[in-house]
Amino acid sequence: MRSPSAPEPSAIGSDLALGVRSEPVTRRRGLAGSAWEPYLYLLPALLIFTLFVAVPVVGTVGLSLAHWDGIAWSSASFAGWHNYTRALTEGEFWRSIWHNIQLVPFFVILPAILGLIPAAIVHQVRLKGTPVFRAGLFLPYIMPGVLIGVVWRWLLNPVFGLINSSLKKLGFQPPTWLGDFTWALPTVGLIGAWAAYGFCFVVFLAGMQKISQDLYEAARLDGANTWQEFFAVTLPGLRREMAVVLSVNLINALRAFDVIKATTDGGPGKQTEVVALYMINVFEARQVGYGAAIAVLLAVTTLALSLLVLRLFGERE
Amino acid sequence: MNRRRLIKVTGAGGAVIALGGLSGAPAWARQSGGTIKLWDTLNEGTRKDLIENKIGKSFSQSHDGAKIDHRGWTTEDLTGTLPRSVDSGQGPDISQVNNGEGLMGPMIRAGQLVSLVPYVEKYGWDTIQPHGLLARNMYTADGKQLGQGQLWGMSMEAEIVGFYYNRKIFKDNGIELPKTFADLEAAMQKLKDAGQTPLMFGNLDKWPAIHLFGDIQGTMTTRAYLDGLIYRTGKESFEDTSMIDAATKLKEWVDKGYLLDGYSGVSSDDAVSLFSAGQGAMLMQGSWSAGDIEQALGADGGFFLMPPKETGGKVLNVGGVGIPYSIIKGTKNPDLDAELIDYLCSDEVVGMIVDAGVLPARAVPKEKIKPDTVTGDLYTAFSAALEGDAIGHYLDWASPTMYDTLTAQLQALLAGKVDPKTFVANLQADYAKSFSS
Repeated sequence: MRSPSAPEPSAIGSDLALGVRSEPVTRRRGLAGSAWEPYLYLLPALLIFTLFVAVPVVGTVGLSLAHWDGIAWSSASFAGWHNYTRALTEGEFWRSIWHNIQLVPFFVILPAILGLIPAAIVHQVRLKGTPVFRAGLFLPYIMPGVLIGVVWRWLLNPVFGLINSSLKKLGFQPPTWLGDFTWALPTVGLIGAWAAYGFCFVVFLAGMQKISQDLYEAARLDGANTWQEFFAVTLPGLRREMAVVLSVNLINALRAFDVIKATTDGGPGKQTEVVALYMINVFEARQVGYGAAIAVLLAVTTLALSLLVLRLFGERE
Repeated sequence: MNRRRLIKVTGAGGAVIALGGLSGAPAWARQSGGTIKLWDTLNEGTRKDLIENKIGKSFSQSHDGAKIDHRGWTTEDLTGTLPRSVDSGQGPDISQVNNGEGLMGPMIRAGQLVSLVPYVEKYGWDTIQPHGLLARNMYTADGKQLGQGQLWGMSMEAEIVGFYYNRKIFKDNGIELPKTFADLEAAMQKLKDAGQTPLMFGNLDKWPAIHLFGDIQGTMTTRAYLDGLIYRTGKESFEDTSMIDAATKLKEWVDKGYLLDGYSGVSSDDAVSLFSAGQGAMLMQGSWSAGDIEQALGADGGFFLMPPKETGGKVLNVGGVGIPYSIIKGTKNPDLDAELIDYLCSDEVVGMIVDAGVLPARAVPKEKIKPDTVTGDLYTAFSAALEGDAIGHYLDWASPTMYDTLTAQLQALLAGKVDPKTFVANLQADYAKSFSS
C-alpha cells in the first residue's frame, strides 16, 4: 500500500525504479507510525539529562552511603546510614542549617519587598525610560556571586571603603561589618538581598502587566484609592508570581554559597558558615561520603520546602 | 591567598648531577618515549613560562630532546583531579602532590606514588636539601606516618613568613631593626605612640592569623615539639604552654592596638596594597609577596624574620616547602622522570626561579643577592634559616580539618570570644578527633 503522498510511478519507469521509489516511502511511514517515535525525539534531551543529572544524583546518593576519601575506589567501604546519622546528630551541621534559616528573611522576604515596591511604582506611574530603569534594577541579579562579593568587600572595607568612610564623615563609628561577629551574617544577608531583588522586580512587573485593566477601572469606580488598588487588585493578582519569587529565593537561601565564600568564607569564626560552605569544607577534608550525605539532605530539604511554598502560594485549580 | 595557595609557592632545591658523571648511557636515554607528562600548579604568568619555556627547553637541550608535556592547574583542581585520574589510568608521569594528609599520605596508601628511595642516593638529594625540609615530603612505606621513612617527592620552591618593613618609617621614628622579641614589642609601642600603624594586618581571609600566631609561637617552642605535633607522632598535644602563651601574647598585641584598626574586615591583599602604598611600618607576610613589595617600595622596603626571645636564640619561622614533585605509579619511564625532578632541583633551575622572583628550596646563590633590598634581605634571612634548621611549620597541617578549626578559633580569639585556654582546648579537640576518625 502506498502513501497518498507518494508520487505516481512514471509511465516510463521500470520495476526497479518503482521499487526504489516505494522503498523510502515505506520507511518514512514506519518511523512516523512507530510507538517509539516520541521517544526518539526525546532521546537527545534524555541523554543529556541522564548524563548530567540522573547519573550524578544517583552517584551522590550512592556515595552518601559510603566511607570514601576520594582517592581510589578500592578504598571505599559501605557505611549504611552512618553519614546521615552523623549529620543529624552533629552540632556543626545544625549550626550551618541555622545560619541558612537566619538568612531566609534576607534572601527570601527582603528581596521580594524590595522588588515589589519599584515594580508597583513603575507599573503605576509609567515613567519615561522604563526599559533602562528595568535593566538597571535587574543588573545585580545577572552579576556573578563572586564578583558581587569582591565589590562589596571593597565597599565595606573599614579602611578605605565608601560605606564606612561616608558613615565616619557623618559622625558614626561603624563596625567592620564582614569581620564583626554580630554584623557579619546580617551583612552577607543584605548583600544577598541586593543581588536578588532585581529578579523579583522583573517577575512582579511582568505579572502586574498581565492584570486586566478592567479590574483597576472597577476598583476606581468603587472609589478605591491607589493603596486600596494595590492591596485589592495588584497583590492578589500576583499570587503566581509570588510563588515563583518565593520558591526561587528560598532555593537561593538554602544553597547560598558564592557570595558568602567571596566575602567572609564562613567567618568570622563560623558565624556565616552555611550548609553549602560546610559541605565544601567536608569534601576538602576528604570525607566524600559525609559530604555527599549533606548534599542529599540539602537537596531533599530544598525540594520539600520549595514544594511547600508552591502549594501555599501557587495557583489553586 | 589561603593555605592551599600558600603551599604551591614553596619549594626545595638540589645539586646538579651531571649526566656525564653517570656510567655509560643513562637508563632514561635507552628507553623509548622521551616525553614526560607533567602536571603542576605553575599555571599562569611567569611561573607557567618558567616551566614550559625556560625549564622545558633547557631540559630538552640537555637530555637528548626529551620533552615535557606540561599542564598547569589550580591547586584545588589538581588536588581533586589527580587521584581520580591516576585511579582510572589517565594520570601524568610526574605531578605535584600536595604535602601531608592533603594528598600525599592518601595517595601513598592507595599505591599511587613511586618511592624515590632508589634515586635519593643516586642524585644525592639528601645532601642538597636539609633534612628538616626533606622530612615534609617523607612518609613511612605504608603511608601512615608523615615526616619519616621514605622520600616520596622533591620540592623545587620554598617559602618563609616574616616581617616586611618600611625603612623610611623606621628611620623617621628612630627605630632600629629589632634583635629580640622585646625589641620588636618596644618598636611597635613606639610606633603606636607616634600615631603610626605598627603592623599592617588584614584577617578577613582568615588564614593570615595562622602566620602571626605561628610566628609568635615559633619564638616559644622547640623543634621536637613542633615536628611531633605536625608529623602526628601522637605524643604531642596542642594543650602546651607555648600555645597558650602565644595566644595570650597575640591577644595582648590586639588589645594594645599594634594591628591595623579594622583588621578583621580587611583582606590580606588589601593589607599588602596598603603597606605597598606606604601605610604601616611592618607587614607580616610570606616570601611570595617580596617581588611586589620590592617593586612598590623600592629602597624603602626591607625584610626581617621574627626575632628570638633572647639574642642568639632560635625561632621556628612559619614556612615550608612548595608542593613536591612525585613520580606517579604506572609511568613508563621512572628513570627519566627522576632525571627531570633532579633537574628541577639543580643549580641551573635555582638560578632561573630566583630570577623569576621565586624562593628556591635551598640557599640562594650569593651572586643573586642584592644587599639592602627586599629580596636581598629575604634571601639572606632564608639562607640563614635553612642553615640553622629554623624553618617551622604551618600549624594547619596538624589535621585534615585543622585549617577550618584554627582559622575560626583565631578569629574568635582576636575578637575576645574565647580565652587562650579555651582556644587551645578547642584546637586539641579537633586534633584528638582526627586520630580517632
